[in-house]
Amino acid sequence: MLKMTHLSKVYRTEVVETYALRDFNIDVKEGEFVAVTGPSGSGKTTFLTIAGLLETFTGGEYHLDGMEVSQLNDNARSKIRNEKIGFIFQAFNLIPDLNVFDNVEVPLRYRGMKTPERKERIMNALERVGLASRAKHYPAELSGGQQQRVAIARALAGSPRLLLADEPTGNLDTQMARGVLELLEEIHREGATIVMVTHDPELAARAQRNVHIIDGQVVDLAEDPRFHTAYTAAAGQVRG
Amino acid sequence: MHIQPILAALRKHKAGTLLIALQIALTLAIVCNALFIIHQRLAHIAEPTGVDESNVFVIENMWGEQYNKQQAAANVEQDLATLRNLPAVQDATQSDSYPLSTVGGSDNFITLKVDQVEPTTDATVYSGDEHFLHTLGLKLIAGRDFRADEVKDAGQRDVVVPPVTIISKAMADKLYPNGDALGKSFYSMSSTPVTIVGIVETMQRSRLGAWAIPYAEQSMVWPIRDASPLGVFYIVRAKPGQLAAAMQEAPKALYAANRMRIINPKDGLMSFAQVRRRAYDSDRGMAILMGIICVVLLAITGAGIVGLTSFWVGQRRRQIGVRRALGATHRDILHYFLTENLLISVGGIGVGIVLTFGLNLWLVTRFELGIMPLTYVLSGVVLLIVLGQGAVFAPALRASRVPPVEATRPA
Repeated sequence: MLKMTHLSKVYRTEVVETYALRDFNIDVKEGEFVAVTGPSGSGKTTFLTIAGLLETFTGGEYHLDGMEVSQLNDNARSKIRNEKIGFIFQAFNLIPDLNVFDNVEVPLRYRGMKTPERKERIMNALERVGLASRAKHYPAELSGGQQQRVAIARALAGSPRLLLADEPTGNLDTQMARGVLELLEEIHREGATIVMVTHDPELAARAQRNVHIIDGQVVDLAEDPRFHTAYTAAAGQVRG
Repeated sequence: MHIQPILAALRKHKAGTLLIALQIALTLAIVCNALFIIHQRLAHIAEPTGVDESNVFVIENMWGEQYNKQQAAANVEQDLATLRNLPAVQDATQSDSYPLSTVGGSDNFITLKVDQVEPTTDATVYSGDEHFLHTLGLKLIAGRDFRADEVKDAGQRDVVVPPVTIISKAMADKLYPNGDALGKSFYSMSSTPVTIVGIVETMQRSRLGAWAIPYAEQSMVWPIRDASPLGVFYIVRAKPGQLAAAMQEAPKALYAANRMRIINPKDGLMSFAQVRRRAYDSDRGMAILMGIICVVLLAITGAGIVGLTSFWVGQRRRQIGVRRALGATHRDILHYFLTENLLISVGGIGVGIVLTFGLNLWLVTRFELGIMPLTYVLSGVVLLIVLGQGAVFAPALRASRVPPVEATRPA
């Protein structure tokens, strides 16, 4: 589903080159639930923005759903984002001027979908996250957890092939975070491919597979004694 | 088109939306009426006088001595002979006024019956001799010119109502709409009837104030030789192509004949082109002023739209990034802002149309402005839509260039 090979992302200024990702390799299979972890500044978010075609990369290859995306123009990238990728952001990123229904509708409108189909998909997605009754509410009238559920409904409504979540529980308290995580697990069980960026080991442990990034490169946790103990303990708590 | 969500978003930004819509409404109302006034003024400026303007010039001759009526009449007769004898001159006449003069002459109420209280119309009265029509180049379309024996001398305080007159077609049509004015009579502030012996195609009035609009082109010539002790207007028609030469010769010849006169070097000698320019000075000034008001208003409205849209683009940068992340193309974002502006413009224009007609109605009742044709409103609507779309284009283009990665950046 998502394969990056020797991928690099370099930010250049007149005096310095900064590698956000260097010789980056990852292969996410269809239906996997992968957690991407790493310390701040390690390149997690850069990976996610490139995976979601929000940003271009400097070198290497990236195949998304079997398609090499490096040569695509902006319109083609927009189309893929719209049709194949669902985004869940840490800050929810709902549009405050639009009510819940209209927020979920945004990506469907850009797809040029007819009104009846749009309506059906929106209501199904909202029912799925338990917020059908709040369709006419505005984001400011909802709790953080509810806003994140709306964001998930917005991501789900387009039936994406890949769900990218950037710290989806980062702005939520424990109880709300648990609810959102359970929802993601449920969506995964139904067959969705999910890549979730998090710095929370407990959350990462709930994923099928963990990918750890340090200094812009994927590292094997089992071979890195600095992180092995912490992640194993957290995983044991969650699974136990 | 994403009209419904755009409208929903606009409802959340009521103050800015209403202010711009109101600005558009006021601009439409003022610009449409201003354009209409400009058009009316320009049309007014272009109105024909009936005069052979390219060859006619005017000398304002003031006597330097206190002449009595007979002396003044004799001087005028001598001056006219002098002028007519100049090689570059075709003909010359005298009058107390002339079309577009803005000074001299008089405006008389006209009635069809001697005991009529309400006047039928109002007309300018020019005094003129048997050379008047030919000198001014006025086209006689019915009847005859004056005979020399019909022309009488009149001093400053003499009240003379002649038995015959030559009138403009506009006046003839006003008095006798059936087209049978020739040979008929009317009363001009006197109990003596005046008979129409000739009709000229066009003969503009001397004064063109707003009050005179209903009486446009209504004027008449009385067969009177102006023997005022103060002075007289000499109207001279040069031979074709010899206007400059005639204008140079004429004052010299007059001074040579009699030095006891004053011809003001500033405006005592004027070509008809200068006469026309002076007569329509205020109209031209009004048209320019209205034009400046239009340009300033449109610029302010355009700047307002640019300012508000730029502010909204800055305010919604993250929101635009989210839309881009969710699949919006550059074109989608550009369309979003263009459509948003179009909706605000349509709202403003709706109110503006009502204001436009309201303002026009007020001007009609207060200043006798005509009813504005619908084309002005339609032109104003198109102008404001184009202005709005043009003004919003640059900030909208900037918005469309917001990268999708903006969605992941901290607020």
